[in-house]
Amino acid sequence: MTLKNNNKRFNKTKSKLPFKERFRKNAIVYIFLFPILIHFAIFQVFPFLFSFVLTFMDWRVIGNSEWVGLKHWVNFFNDKLAWKALWNTFMFSVYYIVPTMALGLILALIINSGVKFAGFFKGIFFLPVVTSFVIIAGLWGWLFRGTDNGMVNWVLNIFGVDSQLFLSDSGQALIVLAGLSIFKVAGSTMIYYFAGLQSIPNQLYEAARIDGASPLKIFWKVTFPLLKPIHFYVAIITTIGSFQIFDSAYLLTGGGPNYATTTIVFYLYQQGFSSLNLSYAAVLSYALFFVILVVSLIQRKYLGKESSFY
Amino acid sequence: MKKFFTYILLFILTFSFLLPFLIMVLGSFKEVEYVLLDPFFWIPNDPSIANYTYIFRDGIFLRWILNSVIITIIPVFSQMFLCAVLGYIFAKKKFPGREAIFWTFMAVIMIPQQLLIIPKYIMFAQFGWINTYWALIVPELWGIMGVFLIRQYLQGIPNDFEEAAYIDGANDIQIFFKIILPLSIPVVATVGTFSFISNWNDLFQPLIYMTEEKMFPVTVGLASLLGKEGNFGVEMTGSTLSFIPTFLIFLFFQRYFTEGIQMSGLK
Repeated sequence: MTLKNNNKRFNKTKSKLPFKERFRKNAIVYIFLFPILIHFAIFQVFPFLFSFVLTFMDWRVIGNSEWVGLKHWVNFFNDKLAWKALWNTFMFSVYYIVPTMALGLILALIINSGVKFAGFFKGIFFLPVVTSFVIIAGLWGWLFRGTDNGMVNWVLNIFGVDSQLFLSDSGQALIVLAGLSIFKVAGSTMIYYFAGLQSIPNQLYEAARIDGASPLKIFWKVTFPLLKPIHFYVAIITTIGSFQIFDSAYLLTGGGPNYATTTIVFYLYQQGFSSLNLSYAAVLSYALFFVILVVSLIQRKYLGKESSFY
Repeated sequence: MKKFFTYILLFILTFSFLLPFLIMVLGSFKEVEYVLLDPFFWIPNDPSIANYTYIFRDGIFLRWILNSVIITIIPVFSQMFLCAVLGYIFAKKKFPGREAIFWTFMAVIMIPQQLLIIPKYIMFAQFGWINTYWALIVPELWGIMGVFLIRQYLQGIPNDFEEAAYIDGANDIQIFFKIILPLSIPVVATVGTFSFISNWNDLFQPLIYMTEEKMFPVTVGLASLLGKEGNFGVEMTGSTLSFIPTFLIFLFFQRYFTEGIQMSGLK
């Protein structure tokens, strides 16, 4: 009891330090935090709230804006193209997430297997991650030219496969775009997996080897399950990234052919900044936000539970 | 035997990861005027710098590079400094509402950029910021992810240095510059490299805020080349030139990239 009282008194005297003394110890908080909070309010909080208000208005770039209630939300639910865009985005995720994780894991396994110059190869696999989408998309467009003399078609022809149309084929275009993203992002999933592999204690491998397990069996029974927290984290970030895909669709296909690569962000961009229908674009951005929120909550619930394996 | 297969696989993967970059650099020295009949059209039999002189002919490409430099360098240094200050505040300072503010920041990361861009476009149009550098610089002056990284890092550093300096009569601005900042150089470098790559490579935001050709950063400029030129050599030249700064940063700061990625993920 006395101790508690003493503590209280101590705290009181501490808070009654002369202003000069408090300022000496906390000047940096007084000087920097306030402007940062204002900046945060202007560029993050206000836009977030404002975009919600926008969905109930007809916002005009020139002229008077007016309240229209739920008009844009009703339009959204009846807009076949918006649902197609959501579906395309979902299909993009299907083509993209697992291959990116698998390729990242394979790269990490190779780097971690004791090859020479591992750091050098790690750098090469990471290079596309730091390269802009514009550069890679430009190259991709030439590699996947839908004519007989495109490079990928040339390789396919060697193996006796007919030339493909790729970006001009509504069934293939989205897959080619997913391939681009896999190439660009696998390097960063590699880094996560590499860190995960290094945290697995060596004794586990040794024990498995002494028990006579084959390398493949060690991988599936020891390595793969122990990487569960990494699988979880990588799955979340690749999923969120895949829903925001825009650059490659904008650069290579313009949403076509026949809307096959119109993803939700591309559709949002078209509605907002080509048709200047900003309010409807805000509705689409909320749809995107909602999908991302739901996906991360589901993943947190079902995958997150087992994230601590030891 | 197992090693042999690993090396074969490593070789194939390395080749396929490097090939696009090889095509880009070699292709920039190739003049292609006719229909491309050969899949290996990008190998220059007669290397020439004609594409380079062509791309610099009217100075617009140089202007794009300059724009990119401006909208990248200012946020990079500002982010390194402000994220360090904020990381220090949230790691070491005690004040009411500290945790609430920090976790509000972290919650906001969940909001996709695409949601904020529409209201920001309207705001910036009101501010008269469209087609000015302000639209791409001011919102990027600090970043939540950077604050998070530096806070994590500083939480792992004991308070002893700081307390000793207080006893010697230093104020906390001095402490920040003399003790905290030098201690956090590795993580500050990570924040800087991340910021460099994300600003230099950003396409979505400048595409919306910059509509005049002379205000394009190099990403948007290059995208407009892809659209209208259809000239392989010129495209590859533009790509190579805009790739050089990224590549140099990557070459010198690779360690900070990979460490930063790990830190952001495995908290």
